[in-house]
Amino acid sequence: MTAATPVAASSAADPLPETGTGPNRRKALAALAIRLGALLTFAFIMLYFALTARGFLSAYNAFNVVEQSAILGVLAFGTAVVIVGGGAEVQTGGIDLSIAANAGLCAAVFATLSTAGFNPTVVLLATLGTGLAVGALNAFAVVGLGILPLLATLAVMNVAAGLELTLTENTVVSAASPVLAFLQTGRFLGVSTLAWTLILFSALMILVVHHTAVGPRLYAVGGHPEAARAAGLDVGAYVAGTYLFSGFCAAFASVLLVSRLSASTPGTGELLLSVLAAALLGTVFSRRFVPTMGGTLLSTLFIGFLANGFQLLGVSSYWVAGVQGALILLVVAVTSFARPQEH
Amino acid sequence: MSESRSPRAKALLATAAVTALFAGTAFAQDGKLSLEGKTIGVTVIGTDHDWDLKAYQGQLDEIEKLGGEAIALDAGRNDQTQISQIQTLIAQQPDAIIEQLGNLDVLNPWLQKIKDAGIPLFTVDTATPLAINNTTSNNYAIGADLALQMVSDMGGKGKVLVFNGFYSVPVCKIRYDMMKYVLGSYPEVEIIEPELRDVIPNTIQSAYSNVTDMLTKYPNEGDVGAVWACWDVPQIGATQAIQAAGRKGVQTYGVDGSPEYVEMVADPDSPAGAVAAQQPYEIGKTAVDNVARHLAGQEVPPFTFLPAVLITKANAAETAGPFLPKK
Repeated sequence: MTAATPVAASSAADPLPETGTGPNRRKALAALAIRLGALLTFAFIMLYFALTARGFLSAYNAFNVVEQSAILGVLAFGTAVVIVGGGAEVQTGGIDLSIAANAGLCAAVFATLSTAGFNPTVVLLATLGTGLAVGALNAFAVVGLGILPLLATLAVMNVAAGLELTLTENTVVSAASPVLAFLQTGRFLGVSTLAWTLILFSALMILVVHHTAVGPRLYAVGGHPEAARAAGLDVGAYVAGTYLFSGFCAAFASVLLVSRLSASTPGTGELLLSVLAAALLGTVFSRRFVPTMGGTLLSTLFIGFLANGFQLLGVSSYWVAGVQGALILLVVAVTSFARPQEH
Repeated sequence: MSESRSPRAKALLATAAVTALFAGTAFAQDGKLSLEGKTIGVTVIGTDHDWDLKAYQGQLDEIEKLGGEAIALDAGRNDQTQISQIQTLIAQQPDAIIEQLGNLDVLNPWLQKIKDAGIPLFTVDTATPLAINNTTSNNYAIGADLALQMVSDMGGKGKVLVFNGFYSVPVCKIRYDMMKYVLGSYPEVEIIEPELRDVIPNTIQSAYSNVTDMLTKYPNEGDVGAVWACWDVPQIGATQAIQAAGRKGVQTYGVDGSPEYVEMVADPDSPAGAVAAQQPYEIGKTAVDNVARHLAGQEVPPFTFLPAVLITKANAAETAGPFLPKK
């Protein structure tokens, strides 16, 4: 349902709706086949786990997966928004490779300041400031200097990872505060705080991106920057905004991360593969192969269930990384072939 | 016991007695141990080092041998993965969970959840009051013995480079604290500040460059007398760095008994000074035996120590054999 909305939204801002002619028609059919194929594959894998993995179907397990996917989900939304605003072309479009490293840095700031005894409000503001600062650096590199996002954010990823190491000396920095305790153990209607966070954050993202004026403008900026500029939109500001938002998501995710682990730990950067897989996989649910918020949520949960199902079946967790890598390749390859020609 | 036994036989008897003591109740009702029809969850932070892998393998082999079913989870050195695995493991309701190594600050709330879920918790190398039993080496003794060997080799004075990147790992905390305690009696042995940080991954490369840098910073013979770490993988890099720099009078000291490092200690020309070699496979196996005992209704002590051997340059010819790389 949610996957259909942005298509309409994006078409509304689309000056060149492609219908009719031969190659485009074939592309549209191929796109439909991919969309259905992806959904069927999802359904088939879920069904397979349901039939073979003991306990997979229980509500307890399902909410576990939602809870485990919260951090990934927040980061995937950040990446999805960057891809929407920067355009979904793989080589030149929007991407934020620094988001996971940024989350690691924010977690380090959060834990270090908490341990140093700063006021929780100050700690939260500093964490948020760190995330936004890294986002601003990305925005400056991409919009201000015109560097390809793939390279700009790769460089910033290393800056963030380096700062995290400097701050933590690659050690575990434990943190404890009432806010963290609430996030870690709080429950409402039997559902944990972290699971609620994903549910509410997703709802908010779907609402803002697909049901307010911001969404169509963002899709227009990413899909047809010239047209958007002609229509009076400040393309640079929108693109910069997506990187700032991605920085915000990194900061937000870092708080969830520290609450879950009671500490900042090395290795947050390893989340990048899952984040990219979730954001890119989310594109197969739209007609034009651009990320949608519903699609991003769906693919985030899919990746969560994949790891969970593998564990329940006793398959080594190392396979999960391999499968995620393969999924990224598959999605990028398939959508590059099937994506309607924009120019 | 007759008085006519040879000294060798006496020594053997003594060894057997000590082993029996260490292994706790191992000899009491063995043979009847079984995990038939039981599911045991095993969660480890990683299996990328010799010690980790052997302890993990020891557990899995013993679970299979006793007829149980293992849910074996390797978190690949990622704390977040381990937490998610533990969470899912709790949902699977195994008959017991064995947790191996990891950061206690991160683990504690989740170990508590295992306990709250009514699942008996056992640990390997993780000292926590939440576990029914922790099977491990006597890290207090290891820490003190290794430090005393180091102080002795240094002649009671000099400076020590210390790797202290894993204080949040309980066994490292114990060994480090014991080393400091020993140094308390030898004020002429000083730790160089700031301490170094050993890391995972890239442990060996990182230690190599750290020690190379420090030898450059302290360029004269006698500036540095020893390099200490709570395990031995960084010491492989440290030893190589000292050798490459051609420095005399610096020796390295570590714990675990990784074959490559034991080989260095056994080599008279290498600056590797001593290593406390443990029996990770036996530790893993014994942890499972403890689970079986507990599930059979027997009393299990809060900790079980497996003996470790301090391999030094002086005794390597007699002690290093079983720990050397398999040719």
